[in-house]
Amino acid sequence: MAATASSNLAKGLNSIVGADRVRAPIDREARAADTIVEPASVEEICEIVRMCEADRIALAPIGAARSLAEIRRSPVALGISMARLARIVAYEPDDMTIVAESGITVGKLNAAMAPARQRLPVDPCGPGITTLGSLIGAAHSGPLRLSEGTSRDLLIGVRFVGHGGSVVHGGGRVVKNVAGYDLMKLMGDAFGTLGIVTEATFKVRPIPSDYCLAAVPYAGAADAFAAACILNDSLPLTNLDILSPALAARFNFTDQFLLLAGFSGNPPEIGYQARRIRDLLGARGEILSADEAIRSYELLRDIDFYSAPLAAQIAVPPAFLARVLESFGNETEFRAHAGSGVAQIIPGGKSSAEAAARTVARWREVARAARGNLRLIAAAPAIRDSIEFFDTPNPGALALMRRLKAAFDPAGIFNPGCFVGGI
Amino acid sequence: MSTIDRKLLDELRQILDGDAIVSRATELKVYECDGWTVEKSAPEVLLLPRSTAQLSAVLAALHRRGIAFVPRGAGTGLSGGCLPVNAPAMICTSRMNRILEIDFDNRRVEAESGVVNLHVTNAVKSKGFFYAPDPSSQVACTIGGNIAENSGGPHTLKYGVTTHHVLALEVVLPDGEVVELGGPAEERCGYDLVGAVIGAEGTAGIVTRATLKLMRTPENHRTLLATFPDADSATRAVSMIIASGIVPAALEMMDQLIIRAVEDAFNVGLPRDAGAVLIIELEGLEAGLTAYADAVAKTADLAGASNVRLARDEAESALLWKARKRAFGAVGRLAPNYATQDGVVPRTCLPRILRVIADVSHRYDLRIGNVFHAGDGNLHPIILYDERQPDQVRRAIDAGREILKACIEMGGSLTGEHGIGVEKIGEMSLMFSFDALRVMTELRHVFDPMERSNPGKVIPQPGTCVEVAAPRRQVPI
Repeated sequence: MAATASSNLAKGLNSIVGADRVRAPIDREARAADTIVEPASVEEICEIVRMCEADRIALAPIGAARSLAEIRRSPVALGISMARLARIVAYEPDDMTIVAESGITVGKLNAAMAPARQRLPVDPCGPGITTLGSLIGAAHSGPLRLSEGTSRDLLIGVRFVGHGGSVVHGGGRVVKNVAGYDLMKLMGDAFGTLGIVTEATFKVRPIPSDYCLAAVPYAGAADAFAAACILNDSLPLTNLDILSPALAARFNFTDQFLLLAGFSGNPPEIGYQARRIRDLLGARGEILSADEAIRSYELLRDIDFYSAPLAAQIAVPPAFLARVLESFGNETEFRAHAGSGVAQIIPGGKSSAEAAARTVARWREVARAARGNLRLIAAAPAIRDSIEFFDTPNPGALALMRRLKAAFDPAGIFNPGCFVGGI
Repeated sequence: MSTIDRKLLDELRQILDGDAIVSRATELKVYECDGWTVEKSAPEVLLLPRSTAQLSAVLAALHRRGIAFVPRGAGTGLSGGCLPVNAPAMICTSRMNRILEIDFDNRRVEAESGVVNLHVTNAVKSKGFFYAPDPSSQVACTIGGNIAENSGGPHTLKYGVTTHHVLALEVVLPDGEVVELGGPAEERCGYDLVGAVIGAEGTAGIVTRATLKLMRTPENHRTLLATFPDADSATRAVSMIIASGIVPAALEMMDQLIIRAVEDAFNVGLPRDAGAVLIIELEGLEAGLTAYADAVAKTADLAGASNVRLARDEAESALLWKARKRAFGAVGRLAPNYATQDGVVPRTCLPRILRVIADVSHRYDLRIGNVFHAGDGNLHPIILYDERQPDQVRRAIDAGREILKACIEMGGSLTGEHGIGVEKIGEMSLMFSFDALRVMTELRHVFDPMERSNPGKVIPQPGTCVEVAAPRRQVPI
């Protein structure tokens, strides 16, 4: 960014929030934004947005910057850190809803609800660093999606700062609400390209009284997926995941594919499901319970695909996932949410930029043929340039998306140029 | 704006089947309102396309002439969603009623938007699946209507609403362009336009096709009827059941007025002297149900239940649910007319709102019965009146408005299921700020820049006579 523009930005920010809340990016933040500002109020965010619109300064909301660092090929001028907007605004256990500012992490939120034995049933990798804003904007999800859905299904109210620095809210505090248009769906998976989410209201759920995890190894992926299908048809599982051998190794299973089927409920339900799993799959593997089950589940949840030189997420109709992953070859590592048709994948072997681009292109073709899609999770800077983060939507849908972007961000400042179709 | 003239009708005859154009006043009268009968207005022409191609050509023809239209499914809506407002053409999807594909392995169904809701479950239940959104009108209402209103039903508490069970849409935009949104995979690519169209009440073009998600039918269920001396103890029980960590599949409440109406009409064995009853449905693995049912019964006792009855068999369970689902029909014998509201309050505010409703009933001198989805705070106060008495009509409308305002004051919503339509358009500014309504309009214009798709719905137009009876208030989200 030109020196004059940069110093104008600094001056403007100083006058809005003060110099002590404007800073340089740290570590991976530098891939996301050139300057970080830490507003302490929604009003400050409104002023910042108005200033950036006037001067055409690109900005984006920042949590841990994991997703933003990957989605952007070059940093935005200004990262708006939500670190100081991280309070719980209202929590009523009897209503099973919680309102919180978007800078709070999933971990902190759930710690606050634990005494009432409730939780926001989402499980992104590293809930301790995943902010609500990121959960919504980058659509993070984990194994629990099978039984609880994703943040899209749980978000019932949203407040965001939009163009003109206006504060807009949609939805509300009640779980059934069809008044007006569903702005929550727009903000979900939008990577901050339509506005800055400042507050979110979620449905919450009771923490199950008991949780167990069946860990069953298989020599071949096909057998593991067949077993998963049988279980999914027979039991209302909490999560159902399959790990490729390299990832299964952290569970002390070597050279084997690992099926991890989690189940919950009251003691009779737990007993029944454990027996049923043994009946259906035989006496192989083990069934973990109590703390051991939870520790293993957390290990599964926290597999960090962001640290891989190249990682992607594929989504296809669930019955197609097995053969899709098989076609990627033995070297591909994966964590497959078998009942959902979603998997995170890492290519095997070392990759040059060209080889990586070819691999992703091939994966995309396979996903498309299976009526699904693929997006990147992470790519080292050397190979990021040659790979599109997202698939391209069909022309009719993309045209609507462009109109949406133009309407919500006429100045083109909200995380521009890195969304689908170059939006 | 040009109107439905002979030239247009000739052009439409080239597109549609012979009997798919209805323009005689006597035949159009059937379409002059939906389930919200307070206002009536017949379209000038009714069109019944059989396919997406026909519907697309129809909208293109209307678009060329600048003619606005109203989509209609089965017309069971309760907020005037398919009442023509400055829209001479009505397009009914009832002939687009094919289930196109059932994919059991992937638990997906592809259906035309005119398919009746219950027909989806009927088509898959023998294989152990069901389609979760179950509005009380499901024997008649269509998938397209469900999508327009983001319909729920009693089982919303556990399974969510329509938007949780729809993965993809084929939509014909107001200019006739056909677009595909979403897909059969669970993750989307780009903005969630499927989510934007669901609940848009027909203002984003006309949905012609949808990919639905199926769920596995739970292994078994239990139905309990808990009887309470008054509404307060019943609502206390609702809170306590939820607080105990149990999420029933459904949790419905009926007060004395409704209980007596249902008993007089159907004689199902509800306790006539009860202040209120709760119907509690538990679903899941058979292994766990006895313990859950016991826990719920115990909780209801602690809350002050005078009796808790567990349905002994399928027949008894079906009877209890029949009582609930026929409640609206039963009140027909109590008064010539009724108006119902659809407001929502946080569950913890249920005792307060029921007292407000009782107070409104007293002050407006109208009987009001309550049957509603207590589990998610979605009320249905049934205001009884006689439309032959103009003063009663006025009082019924005002009573309804006062109840809705109270819902907003308690942090709730104008509508949990029925939509805004025409009915509640005047109350939108009680719930949403000017900026929120502006942004919603901007969203609408992405799909329908000329506002020809179901005009006059959802968002109040500037300059229309809207009685703002309360100061605009930024409602906490």
